[in-house]
Amino acid sequence: MIKKMFIIFGRDFLSSRRDAMAVYIMVVPLIMAVLVAAFAPGLNDTTVNIAMLESDSAEHIEYIEQYAKVEVFKNIEELERRVNKRDEIAGIIPLGDGHEILLQGNEADIIEMYAVLLNSFYELGLTKEETTATMISFGRTIPPLKAKLTNMLISVTVMLSGMLIAISIVEEKNDDTINAVNVTPISQIGFILGKSLLGSSVAMISIIGAIFITGFYNVNWIMIVIIGFCSMILSLVIGFLQGINSDDFMEAAAGVKMLMLPIAGSIAGYELLSDKWQWTMYWSPFYWAYKANDLILAKIADWPTILLCTGLVIISSTVVFILFIPKIRKGLS
Amino acid sequence: MISVKNLSHIYSNNDKLAINDISFEITKGETFGFLGPSGAGKSTTQGILTGLLKLQKGNVHVAGYNMNKVDNKRFNKIGVSFEQSNVYSKLTAKENLEFYRKLFDVPTREPEELIKLVGLEGKENDRAGSFSKGMKHRLTFARSMINNPELWFLDEPTTGLDPTIAATIKEIINGQKAKGVTTFLTTHNMYIADELCDRVAFIIDGQIKLIDTPKNLKLLYGKKLVDIEFIDNNEVKKETLKLIDDNDKKRMYEIINKYKIQTMHSKEATLEEIFIQVTGRGLI
Ligand SMILES: Nc1ncnc2c1ncn2[C@@H]1O[C@H](COP(=O)(O)OP(=O)(O)OP(=O)(O)O)[C@@H](O)[C@H]1O
Ligand SMILES: [Mg+2]
Repeated sequence: MIKKMFIIFGRDFLSSRRDAMAVYIMVVPLIMAVLVAAFAPGLNDTTVNIAMLESDSAEHIEYIEQYAKVEVFKNIEELERRVNKRDEIAGIIPLGDGHEILLQGNEADIIEMYAVLLNSFYELGLTKEETTATMISFGRTIPPLKAKLTNMLISVTVMLSGMLIAISIVEEKNDDTINAVNVTPISQIGFILGKSLLGSSVAMISIIGAIFITGFYNVNWIMIVIIGFCSMILSLVIGFLQGINSDDFMEAAAGVKMLMLPIAGSIAGYELLSDKWQWTMYWSPFYWAYKANDLILAKIADWPTILLCTGLVIISSTVVFILFIPKIRKGLS
Repeated sequence: MISVKNLSHIYSNNDKLAINDISFEITKGETFGFLGPSGAGKSTTQGILTGLLKLQKGNVHVAGYNMNKVDNKRFNKIGVSFEQSNVYSKLTAKENLEFYRKLFDVPTREPEELIKLVGLEGKENDRAGSFSKGMKHRLTFARSMINNPELWFLDEPTTGLDPTIAATIKEIINGQKAKGVTTFLTTHNMYIADELCDRVAFIIDGQIKLIDTPKNLKLLYGKKLVDIEFIDNNEVKKETLKLIDDNDKKRMYEIINKYKIQTMHSKEATLEEIFIQVTGRGLI
């Protein structure tokens, strides 16, 4: 049966490669990931850039590197050229006993202050541990906008993979080929699972690809794969239902638009509702999937929470699946 | 090979019985013709025998399997050609067959060979979506042979094909017959049925009116006929008369004496004429 599932998969892939819409769906998540990677850091990268000289003491460079992004230059000319470029960067160079701060002149005050203070702390030999303030960390280490965009991208990807299934079911319906497959030794379950392979592999590849492209290499991959897999099951079921209930691509596409509503609603609910009202979104599997991904991307996910989210996604997917499996079977015979 | 007892079927959106209590047996190696006008229930019967339609009422055994509890493995020895061609438009003729053959667990035939057989040589690498209706139909037909079926269901294999190609298809069916393949042939083409079938069943309004060999039917019903064309009032008229019927005989003398005869042919009744005699209805 496994072999035959892959035969179905191979055929679906061949057909999809020849379908403009399917090709689009297969590549669009990766393109979007590239866009997120290209633009998101600029949007919220609050790190200060500092230019330093190679001849400076290693200890000094190391100290500054803890708090700023340091670019090291061979000589003063190169460093000056760099500082004079349009973006915001301050130079710190040794001068006698102390240091000199180089500025182009148009930097924001905060950059100037930051460079001056940072250098003073170094000269005074201060460390983080010596502060009298208590540190309270909320744990976020990733620029939040980038993580949010990546997470939304994952939600869209999962939905698109369902769409891929819908397209291939609509193809079988238009060509009336389901009957032909139904008079071969492949079982109906084998056929349904085989048909799921294209959507699921595209979803998993796109999710993993998107996370790589956006640069979240050191997230907990096991968690990502688990939650991705579970939310994908839901989108597969929806893809089958849409395919079965639509007579052409446009109808299936319209169905997907409807699906955007609960997804967008869940994301908006999670991001915008106050804690007191979060419970109003608890019904939605998309909410739980989004929440899980949010925690994972921010690297503050713990297994109990992730398992809870996964469980809830699975339960709601399974409920939908069980409710509709007779309909799917009927639609495919 | 096939045994059907008291089979009835009703479509949920239709209150009339599509199949009304039919029974028949098909033995191994037999070519069985299922003949009847449009809407008689031919495709419905094929649907039930192939398992695509759920058995509602009656006892059906096909290729040793009770159709009450179906097992997909049986399709390894069954081939099905559909009334409406159904091939993947986005795949080429060859890709269609290559995909299909891999779904079977038994030795299969070479796609190229089959494509050639049905006269689609040179079209192997064309997308089926670019095919004409008749070409798609032939591809569907070719596909039904890919697993060397012992039992072969053919729903209107020659409908919509030009006479030369229809003759090719007929030859292919004949060839399979010589190899001992059992065939359930649905058609309203009486010539094909006459030439290919060991026995035929006449079905109308979901009921079988009779089952017999074409030869027997002709002996029973097909009394010698004469076609006469004559001129009456500058108009050409045509009548078909039975040589053993006294009234017809009188009429023939009358025509010969009164009018100018243009042509006169004696012939055997065709299966089509017998069908009309038996059921009181034409085939279309
Ligand atoms: N899917 C369906 N839903 C409802 N009624 C149907 C359906 N298919 C067939 N019928 C009805 O069942 C009867 C038998 O149809 P069937 O298709 O078996 O006829 P047929 O002998 O194959 O005709 P044809 O020569 O036109 O192919 C007809 O009265 C038809 O209207
Ligand atoms: Mg029919």
